[in-house]
Amino acid sequence: MRHRRIVLTKIMEEKKQNNEQTFERGTTTKDKFNSFYNQHYKTLLLIPIILIILSISFIGYFYFKTGDFINRDISLSGGTTITLFSDVSELDLQNTLTGKIPDLEIKYVSDDGGKPSQIILITSQKPEEVTPIIEEALGYKLTDKNSNLEFTGSNLSDNFYKQLVIAILIAFFWMAAVVFIIFAQKWKIKILALVLNLLFGIFLGKMFLTMNFFISLIILLAFIISIVFIYVKYSIPSFAVMLCAFADIVMTLAIVDLLNLQIAGAGIVAFLMLIGYSVDTDILLTTRVLTRKNTSVNREIFGAFKTGMTMTLTAIAAIGVALAVIYHFGTVLNQMFIILLIGLSLDILNTWVTNTSLIKWFAEKGGKL
Amino acid sequence: MKITFRIWILIFFITVSLIAIFGVPPLFMEKGVSITFVDKNSTLFEKGLRQGMIINGINDVQINNINDFEKQFEIFSDNQSHKLTIKTKSFEITDVFSSDIENQLLVENIAPTRIKTGLDIRGGSRALVVAQNKTLSDSELSDLISISQERLNLFGLTDMNIRKASDLSGNRFMVIEIAGSSPADLEELISKQGKFEGKIGNLTVFSGGKNDIPHVERSGQMAGIDGCYANQGGGEYCTFRFGITLSEEAAQRHADITGNLSLSAENPEYLSEKLDLYLDDSLMDSLFISKDLKGRVTTQISIQGSGAGKDRTEAIKDANLNMKKLQTVLITGSMPYKLEIVKLDTISPVLGQQFSKDVLIAGLFGILAVSVIIFIRYRKIKVSLALLVTSFSELIIILGIAALIKWNLDLPSIAGIIATVGTGVDSQIVILDESRFKTESLKLRIKKALFIIFTSFATAFVSLVPLTGALGMIGIGAAGAGLLKGFAVTTLIGISAGVLITRPAFADMIKQFEEE
Repeated sequence: MRHRRIVLTKIMEEKKQNNEQTFERGTTTKDKFNSFYNQHYKTLLLIPIILIILSISFIGYFYFKTGDFINRDISLSGGTTITLFSDVSELDLQNTLTGKIPDLEIKYVSDDGGKPSQIILITSQKPEEVTPIIEEALGYKLTDKNSNLEFTGSNLSDNFYKQLVIAILIAFFWMAAVVFIIFAQKWKIKILALVLNLLFGIFLGKMFLTMNFFISLIILLAFIISIVFIYVKYSIPSFAVMLCAFADIVMTLAIVDLLNLQIAGAGIVAFLMLIGYSVDTDILLTTRVLTRKNTSVNREIFGAFKTGMTMTLTAIAAIGVALAVIYHFGTVLNQMFIILLIGLSLDILNTWVTNTSLIKWFAEKGGKL
Repeated sequence: MKITFRIWILIFFITVSLIAIFGVPPLFMEKGVSITFVDKNSTLFEKGLRQGMIINGINDVQINNINDFEKQFEIFSDNQSHKLTIKTKSFEITDVFSSDIENQLLVENIAPTRIKTGLDIRGGSRALVVAQNKTLSDSELSDLISISQERLNLFGLTDMNIRKASDLSGNRFMVIEIAGSSPADLEELISKQGKFEGKIGNLTVFSGGKNDIPHVERSGQMAGIDGCYANQGGGEYCTFRFGITLSEEAAQRHADITGNLSLSAENPEYLSEKLDLYLDDSLMDSLFISKDLKGRVTTQISIQGSGAGKDRTEAIKDANLNMKKLQTVLITGSMPYKLEIVKLDTISPVLGQQFSKDVLIAGLFGILAVSVIIFIRYRKIKVSLALLVTSFSELIIILGIAALIKWNLDLPSIAGIIATVGTGVDSQIVILDESRFKTESLKLRIKKALFIIFTSFATAFVSLVPLTGALGMIGIGAAGAGLLKGFAVTTLIGISAGVLITRPAFADMIKQFEEE
């Protein structure tokens, strides 16, 4: 019995070796793909580069047109949102309220059966200015039984927005720093990157946007350039991870702008979640390819691709299903999930084209962890 | 399968979490209603009834839920006094109670778990308050909080949380969160400075607060609705009256000031000046001062006011509310600063229950979708089950820790949980796939998988820390005054539990499956 098992294992090993040899020689469709990929993987990088340029251009255009990078909702731009949900089906507020409340926007939300279930009134005014007018139009008082009220003062909302942007910046750079510290080789450079990132954090927390705009912009750029320079020079894999997360964010933001989605604080946090998901697959790929033993780069990439795609697809499936169930509540979870779905889909491209090409390039040149 | 040390650790944490969530004995097996509020000035309080206790019987009738409880209290609809025996788990109270008891005791159904949901799910109000044109110091903010706390308590609000918050830019806020239904005039109650002054001419006789007014009548003979009258323009209005007691110094001031007054020329029964009552610098009422009071040290003063409505019931309600507000500012005194509400959210409790249910359904469907993909990919029941069990245990541990630290699960927290369980599944897929790679030794492969997972964990960890406010010392406070902290907190709990507890256990399970 024991003897038979050993023989079996031997046969399997031989089979595997044969497989690997055909894998290298290139005769089957799989191998044709391999040789095609080996020839063109650098050219493939053009796709994400073009998309990144398009995305940045569109975001720039959006900024030029609206004065902001995103379409902020009331919680980030200041104002009042009143959501009515009792007997809203027969109300025609548009006619009664237009002209009485400046910059009033009225949205109708339907339930699963298509019946109007909520009316959302959005205005930049304060609640004490608008509730009496709305109550008069409705003929009843607004209470916590028949409505929700959300108000954010404009100073506060501006602050919220700035702080969230800073939080995303810090998260992005510190995430990259961790990858660098784990993946880079030399201790001195690791410590330098650590100190630089801590200083960058302090700068963002204490000084950025509180001092002169241009000076803070120059310091910001100086930090970014020196950090990116260190990563490119001392650890291409860390740079690739960072680039991939950056591409995910920029492309997702461009699509969010294209769809003109209104974003609340939670929506910005979704970008943070996106960084997390994006980095996971990148680290998987990098580790697999750069710590490989006795296998080819393509083989490791393909293995990582199978694992990574399972990861991303499960995430997309879970989030998609959850979104479908809770969509009609109209909560902030909707925008978080939509942003994640867009981002995760783009991450497939960015991990398996952008990051993979860079890592392959690096590995073919003999790069290791 | 052999239960290794790491799997034992996982089992231990799941057990502790389940206990934290459901309690021992499990809360859903408990019968009765839980007390949410007992008026401190009531007989019920004197006899030992406290918030959080469980009432399971009234007058020999078993109380299972809030409907049973309300049925027993229907006897008070005749506004008469009745004898009641209230049973809690450890003792019982028997006494004759007036219909006031309905305002002195509030209860709710016993929650099936110890998990607390946030305001944006179960409904409630949240206000962010700042001082106008002033940055408050830490101790000033503490004073403000204690006054607000007292004001809201007087209004019968107990299920609330008032805390300090600061943000990235160093602004300090008072955050008030009130669960469930909130008073209609919450805005007024928290943002009104409530500066109450009794003045004769330009001289202040007394102002609100304990120094000048040690006692305010709130019920009984000395406080209540005086009478109701038809309004000329339609509707009705009602007047109220309640007594206050002045401190000796304030009464002496009253004597000194009135001593210098002459009799009124038009109406010699009264003094030449009136006692003007100001609330937040606007004249609320002017009281004639009887000539007998001239130069007298008097400590008893009656305060009057009114309320209006389209019919009598509404007018009485309004008058009662106005009386309560006035009593509140007289008792607590004025806020030290002019306040401004910079953010106010009132979320209806109506949607909450349905939403909680649907989030659970969403979670279940999400996990189902994941299982389908996992099964298609691996085609092994055992492996797929292990992965699902691990994901569920991650969820249970997050909820358990949240229940243990009494974290309110709001929408951002739920997003965090979803994110964590999602990355959890990802990590398990990494472990699974690494272990199936036959080119290296199993031990080495698992080690590599744990390295990948640890790197992901470390990156997620540093990217979340700025949201928690833990980096205050380098100027990175919690963004958005900590309103998105929930996301960071649940995610941090989840990924830490994942990397320390569930994923190592999962790796052990997979190792055994592979060795088989």
